[in-house]
Amino acid sequence: MTKTRTANLAGALAVATVLGLGGGAMAAETIKIGIPVGLSGANSVVAPSVVQAAELAAAEINKAGGVLGRQIELVVADDGSGAQGAQKAFDSLVFQKKVDVLISMETSAARNAGLPIVNRGRVPFIYTSFYEGRSCSPWLYVNAWVPEQQVAPIVDHFMSAEGAKTFFLVGSDYAFGRGMLEFTADYIAQKGGKVLGDEYLPMDGTDWTAIISKLKSSGADALITSTAGGAPNVTLTKQLRAAGVDIPYGNLAVDEGTARNMGADAAGIYISASYITDIPSQENQAFLRNMKAHFGDDLKTPNDLSVPQYEGVYLYKLAVEKAGTTDSQAVIDALDDVAFMGPRGKIQMNKQRHAPLTMYLAQVQADGGIRLISSFKDVDPGEQCPNL
Amino acid sequence: MVEQAQNGPAKGQPSAARQRSDLGTVLKVSAAALVVLGVAPFFLDIYTVNILIRALLLAALALTVDLLWGYTGILTFGQSAFFGIGAYACALVFTHWGFGAGWAILALALGVLAAMAVAGLAGWLAFYHGASPLYGSIVTLALPIVVTQVVFAGGRTTGSSSGLSGFPTYYWTIETWFWIAGAFLVVVTALAWLFVRSDMGRVLVAIRENETRCAYLGIPVSRIKILLFVAAGAIGAVAGFGYAAFTNVVAPELTGFLLGTELLIWVALGGRGTLIGPVIGAIFIDVTSSYLSGSLPFYWKLLVGILFVVVIVALPQGLMPEVTKLWRRLVPGAKRAAETPALERAPVREVRRGVEKPLAVSGVHRHFGSLQVLQGIDFVANEGELLSLVGPNGAGKTTLIRCLADGYERSGGDITVFGRELGRWPPDRCVALGIGRKFQTANVFATLTVAECLRVSRYRLEPPSLWTSDTALELPEAALRIVEETGLAQSLDTEARHLAHGQKQALELAMVLALEPRIVLLDEPTAGLTRIERERIGAILTSLTERERLSILLVEHDLDFVREISSRVIVLHQGQIVLDGSVEEVVGSALVREIYAGTAMDGKGNEP
Amino acid sequence: MGGLLLDILTTAAILFAVASGLMIILGVMKLINFAHGAFLTIGGYAAFVTTQLGWNPWLAVPFAALVGFVLGLIVERTIVRPLYTRPLDAILATWGLGIIIGQVITIVFGREVQFVQSPISGAIEFLGQSYSTYRLVLVALAALLAVALTALLYFTRFGLNARAVIMNEDLARGLGIDSTRVRLTTFGLGAALASMAGALVTPLISVDPNLGLPWLVNSFMLVLVSGISIPGLMVASLILGGAQVVVSTYVSAILGGLTIVVLAAVILRLRPQGLFSG
Repeated sequence: MTKTRTANLAGALAVATVLGLGGGAMAAETIKIGIPVGLSGANSVVAPSVVQAAELAAAEINKAGGVLGRQIELVVADDGSGAQGAQKAFDSLVFQKKVDVLISMETSAARNAGLPIVNRGRVPFIYTSFYEGRSCSPWLYVNAWVPEQQVAPIVDHFMSAEGAKTFFLVGSDYAFGRGMLEFTADYIAQKGGKVLGDEYLPMDGTDWTAIISKLKSSGADALITSTAGGAPNVTLTKQLRAAGVDIPYGNLAVDEGTARNMGADAAGIYISASYITDIPSQENQAFLRNMKAHFGDDLKTPNDLSVPQYEGVYLYKLAVEKAGTTDSQAVIDALDDVAFMGPRGKIQMNKQRHAPLTMYLAQVQADGGIRLISSFKDVDPGEQCPNL
Repeated sequence: MVEQAQNGPAKGQPSAARQRSDLGTVLKVSAAALVVLGVAPFFLDIYTVNILIRALLLAALALTVDLLWGYTGILTFGQSAFFGIGAYACALVFTHWGFGAGWAILALALGVLAAMAVAGLAGWLAFYHGASPLYGSIVTLALPIVVTQVVFAGGRTTGSSSGLSGFPTYYWTIETWFWIAGAFLVVVTALAWLFVRSDMGRVLVAIRENETRCAYLGIPVSRIKILLFVAAGAIGAVAGFGYAAFTNVVAPELTGFLLGTELLIWVALGGRGTLIGPVIGAIFIDVTSSYLSGSLPFYWKLLVGILFVVVIVALPQGLMPEVTKLWRRLVPGAKRAAETPALERAPVREVRRGVEKPLAVSGVHRHFGSLQVLQGIDFVANEGELLSLVGPNGAGKTTLIRCLADGYERSGGDITVFGRELGRWPPDRCVALGIGRKFQTANVFATLTVAECLRVSRYRLEPPSLWTSDTALELPEAALRIVEETGLAQSLDTEARHLAHGQKQALELAMVLALEPRIVLLDEPTAGLTRIERERIGAILTSLTERERLSILLVEHDLDFVREISSRVIVLHQGQIVLDGSVEEVVGSALVREIYAGTAMDGKGNEP
Repeated sequence: MGGLLLDILTTAAILFAVASGLMIILGVMKLINFAHGAFLTIGGYAAFVTTQLGWNPWLAVPFAALVGFVLGLIVERTIVRPLYTRPLDAILATWGLGIIIGQVITIVFGREVQFVQSPISGAIEFLGQSYSTYRLVLVALAALLAVALTALLYFTRFGLNARAVIMNEDLARGLGIDSTRVRLTTFGLGAALASMAGALVTPLISVDPNLGLPWLVNSFMLVLVSGISIPGLMVASLILGGAQVVVSTYVSAILGGLTIVVLAAVILRLRPQGLFSG
């Protein structure tokens, strides 16, 4: 037993030398940005666009001379869109690759699983995915929307323009799905509407039959869903369409890219986002041009999940430059103060680690494109982390 | 060989002095392993230590899969459920109730108890008498799915798909966690090693090799499987508890069916039934996949998949036996010295004789659907009688034997054994009444040695130790005689599958006699034997009835053999007793001749 | 109420279609094909390729069947054949095969969800209410499948041979039936059925490398409960699928997910041979 165990440990050591220490030698020269992201599992639909956005930001920054004269290196790890995979990814990035910062779009499950590792490893973590809100850690900043910013436009529109009084809510049973819909239910009640039912399926669930039947028999005026991105969103939308559900349908978790992937099934869906490709600003036009130039035919449509990732890299750059170092605590202190003019406008994470955002209400068209309905300037994220 | 018998131990309690154990070696190896684990964190980078902690805990879980599948033959997909239960016990208590030493102990206790309860319930469902191995696997497959769905259904309490994280836990240094996980694995492995090398460990292998034979040797197979499943569940829960406390995260994946199948892959690649193989397999594959999942995720998984299929198809025993073989070839003398146990005569047990009839059968019938196979069977067997059951094919002879040896078999009627009612009991309880059954085809434990087969047969009379093995093999006079007369005594270390056909038959008979039965049921014991072997068996049977006053029921086709040795003959025809009398009466009966002639004629059309 | 009945009927039809391939293989070969889920996935990707090539979406079904059949033949020759005497090992080896197929699909097509054109979408009025057209079509297709399978088993030479092998393989071989060939064809057929079912369900679920996995265990349970017969599988799908819909509707959609597994384990405890045999 001893012999075999020794051999095994020696083997592990050899692997570590090749992979771990080999990477470590470069740390002195480059600034490493860890990107744990769901290349597989629920988030696999959007993950490639997120990686592309980060790659463009890194390429632009490196071309302009880097940060404090150092080049940026991206280290991407698959978190499997879940807690288990996230642990491995965070462990690997924080302890093996020894990244200077984590900037990532992830599921709430993955973020929650990663946070203890972040706390242990004391690494700044910029979370770039919209989420259910109130995730607080001394090392965490968020530059995407929370329910306070996103839900109101859809519910308000359904109640005023579509005359909806009763709502049905459907979600994936995880932190984001439940958090979003609980907020939505409260908001609807506050506005004088009525929620006729809320139903959940596990993240790996594929059979929405019974839930759709309940929705149909409830006679609700409008539907609001909040599933995990990717597969659950696609199966739910396909089955809704196959069942002929045609009431106003607001999807809190769909992005432009996924909508395109769903083809005709996505037509008519209302989305509320801090980013849509149609934003006319100069920054956005330049961003889209550069993305096209950089990735050509491989370009994945930029969306509400990938653009914050792009901006996150820039925000980190600004914070490091302000702090004059990549030291974790110094960067964390500086992140509050820096602002970046990005495709979504001016982004500053100064509201209890979250950012005020301009929100857009839009509807998916039959060709997969989206039509802007209205916009809401600098919506406040509300009380998120009052203790930080 | 036999002289020690007089200072032999009290009934059923082998003396401690006779026990051999690997304890010394195991302690030495464990100590060495602990030293390696103790210094390892100082030579490894923090990331490797980090992933090794998880791998060590998962290896303990893989070990339980090996105990169940590799040793006992229970293909389980469900060990992840217990891991998850332990992990969730930790997370739920720390999240919702409180944190501290007391809470930690409570959480661990709750996790282990819950896992044991679930394992007991699942085991009771899966391992009932007569359950197919596939059914057991189905239950173990359903188990993690059910536990996962329960976690999903827990909403905010269990965190559903997101799981729970960030609950308070002990933020000990990574080295401390490594040592805890390492020590846990070493202790579990050492205990498991002693256990599988003990006499009880041989019983597990016997169950894997031939569960039916075990049941008819009086071994409570269902109970052993359930207890083992419960113990494995408890170990899994402890590992899961450690995992949750260390990683500070629990998620539904921890309880899932996919982790259950991964465990099987690790065990299969490492080498099922080798303990060390699965432990190394688990650690190696888990650590390597942590390293490669960043750079080569699909190709690594593809490689593992291919390797797994190749090993299952071409090397079912996994890689460990190949390594061992190589080791033995490279290092001469590495082969362990065989430990032949000394044969001893078991002390004679006092039995009341001549008080009650050994066997009284009345009104026994058996039907399969509408087909009546046995009806209105009434007869009595006496002490010292060799009673032959004859009759044409399909007369119901083997069915009758089955009804006598398994309380579930008959559709109705009463069977009394030495005055005690034979209830609806599984075979192992029938054995306790004094019934021993030998099967038609030689039914032995292929990978056990002759000595081990015989030892396993003594399960009921000499309960095997869980941690040691007996250096002596006590057998009753009758069994000892067969072993010595048929040359088995010279092949005690030979695996049963390497025996000649006649020797296998003799071994099975010796195994049945090792039960010290008072009624022996023999289904064509001479089938396929040479004339000399047959005569030898005949002589032994006769002497068993005469000297030991056993009551023997013999199913036999060879009417000459029946005539030579029987003291009484029962003729069965179409599920009924048509004649019950002495050899002379039966031989002289016109009815019997008619029956045999009749079936011979219409048999032409029916029999294949 | 009518909606509930239609949900039960259509769920049962889907389950029947998905499980039939597994049943054919288990029935004739006494082999549990844990690569069944992977063959479903192959069917989903065959549908994706059909969309990519711009073919009519209905062509996905025969195309998937063809791909499944050919792959099934290859797999039988290379992996399954040595394992006939080791049924529990065969479960493991086919599970490993499923991993291999899943990884190859990931390497070729990527991990992301793929867009597949649906042949039909929307709802029609049926029994007084609006119901998913495609799900109703699936009921008809499942019925057609049941008829076709029955015809195959009872009115063709292959069916006769297969039934002989099911009843008594040694005897069948003795009578000159090439049981090796029957096994080969059966595995190909089972894989073809699985792939076809995979293509059939794509309008309802997302096409990604894990498409088939959620169906595997439920199919397995249904087949065991069916007692390995076509009418048995239909009834098992109706009972267990119906129970799933009822639990999902009236108790919780999450607990609905384990209804089939738990009920099957209990039924098999009471009737080890399944509901409809002997």
